[in-house]
Amino acid sequence: MRKNSGDMEFALEAPRLRAVPSPDPAPTLDTSDAELLARVGEGDREAFELLYRRYVRPLFGLALRRLGDRGHAEDAVQEAFAAIWRSASTYRPERGAAGGWLYTVARNAIVDRLRRNGLATDAELPELVSSEPGPPERAEDSYVSVRVHRALEELQPREREVIELAYWSGLSQSEVADYLGLPLGTVKTRTRSGLARLASLLEGEDL
Amino acid sequence: MSPDFDELVGTEATGAERAKLREAHDLLLRAGPPPELTPKLKAGPNPGVARMQHRRRAVKRRSLVLLAAALSVAVVFFAGYGVASHRGGSSSAGGTATTIQLKGTASAPDAQATLDVWQERDGNWPMTLSVKGLPKLPEHTYYEVYLVRDGRPWGSCGSFVVSNPSQALQLHLNAPYKLQKGDSWVVTRQTAGAEPGKTVLSPVAA
Repeated sequence: MRKNSGDMEFALEAPRLRAVPSPDPAPTLDTSDAELLARVGEGDREAFELLYRRYVRPLFGLALRRLGDRGHAEDAVQEAFAAIWRSASTYRPERGAAGGWLYTVARNAIVDRLRRNGLATDAELPELVSSEPGPPERAEDSYVSVRVHRALEELQPREREVIELAYWSGLSQSEVADYLGLPLGTVKTRTRSGLARLASLLEGEDL
Repeated sequence: MSPDFDELVGTEATGAERAKLREAHDLLLRAGPPPELTPKLKAGPNPGVARMQHRRRAVKRRSLVLLAAALSVAVVFFAGYGVASHRGGSSSAGGTATTIQLKGTASAPDAQATLDVWQERDGNWPMTLSVKGLPKLPEHTYYEVYLVRDGRPWGSCGSFVVSNPSQALQLHLNAPYKLQKGDSWVVTRQTAGAEPGKTVLSPVAA
């Protein structure tokens, strides 16, 4: 049988520690954003870590788009998560989706950062990337980006990999297949299943 | 250059399914690429947030702490004893030292996991493994988390079984070793009394 290069075979004489499931029902990868936020509001650190993993890339994208500088964007994202930690207990699911609430908190943190840098007034939050559409369209674009990037985090890594290569590397499907060392059919299948999963997530997600 | 929708999805999908795929395609184009995280953001939440958590808990306990402190002082005063020694409780904020993203190998292609390694406590490195997609194994077979050093398995950090493959699992493990730069982890499939174990989850390349 052919061995996959990712497989490693070995045996060790090492003391084994039995893993013990958490005594409290801990949040899992399947826990919804709304539930995570509720737990964060009660001071649940693990829930906060999970929420961070889900949203750090989308919110960093948002901050980068608005601030145009990785250092400032990094600071803004950290301030956004500090604000999320502080105010999670004020989130009310009946008043809107968790993703929308997180987006608003992050956006406010970014505006604060812009104001401190003397780049924004109360009236407007500038977009540094898109220049053609008006403010409402630009705001909607930012929201779409956060939603899509958040949904990407939910894909299987192998699906996300082919989607990101297909859309943003400039490679054709054949080139993606060559790059990953996969049959073209596998790349096409993963791209299609990734797109389908994304469509479902964006259709049913609570952002 | 934008990717060609027809090239991406072929001609198999039709009707409503094709429209759904097209919508996702358009949203991806509109969203643009997600950014690469900075090392600091990749490392996890800012420890300052953890300190805030400690402050929040501290505030909740403030009255009890003050009461206990007052009683202690009174007892010491009236008993006429001095405090011989005092241990400064220097509990750390306990943030993550590192986070490793793991993906399934050919042995478990649908599996993925996140391994959070927390700050060292008295020679131990507590870890939280969040894993999903691993299949249920036959009897006497289990999964084992191994510390990998210099490209080779170095020591066990715990073992577990999966009883319900459709559910994500979160486990608390420990690395009772002095960790070094470059250390990593894999998850293997082990059979009791037999060898070798095959790697089912390995780190995602940076």
